[in-house]
Amino acid sequence: MRNDLAERRLQRGWTQADLAAALGVSRQTVISIERGRFDPSLPLAFLIARTFGCRIEDVFTDSTV
Amino acid sequence: MSKADLTSRGAPASHYILAVTFGAIVTLALSLAVAASNREHFWLAAGITALCVAYPCVSLGLRVFVTDHTIARDVRGEESVELTWMRRAAAGAFLDVLVTTIVACVVLMFAGPVIGALPVLLALIALSAVDAGLRYFVIRRRALR
Repeated sequence: MRNDLAERRLQRGWTQADLAAALGVSRQTVISIERGRFDPSLPLAFLIARTFGCRIEDVFTDSTV
Repeated sequence: MSKADLTSRGAPASHYILAVTFGAIVTLALSLAVAASNREHFWLAAGITALCVAYPCVSLGLRVFVTDHTIARDVRGEESVELTWMRRAAAGAFLDVLVTTIVACVVLMFAGPVIGALPVLLALIALSAVDAGLRYFVIRRRALR
């Protein structure tokens, strides 16, 4: 899955640690998601979308399409 | 549940004193228990045991009385990538141990000497722990590269 998590995070002026604290996960998790090396679980994806005030499909897109 | 980074928070001084006291008491108790089973060299046994168990006992004390003040836990640690890495490392290590055990059994059955169970079990524990640790290290390194 591709995502624009890094762009959205930077738009808000958040560090990876800030986002990790907001989501309640480790900073390594945020790094891995941003680099597309870790697909978050559905609850975490919902939480990410809620944190940025958008829908899941706005943040994540299917890289096979 | 995985742990987040060390925070700048500290525990009250009394908790550190409590942790060290706890460690000292457990160390003393274990040393005396071991020494009691070896009356011929009572103080030697007590001393060696104390040297061996002091560090883990104080560490246990710090874990019980201090770390809750100094380490912030991830609220959703189960969603963290570290858990995925650990599962992958453990699964890989299990397969390694399985294959190694089968191959070693076949080799020993036909060509090897008879080996006691205890060394074999200790070797299996060491193999699985080192294997899982190395795999976790490699998976983490690849993921963060």
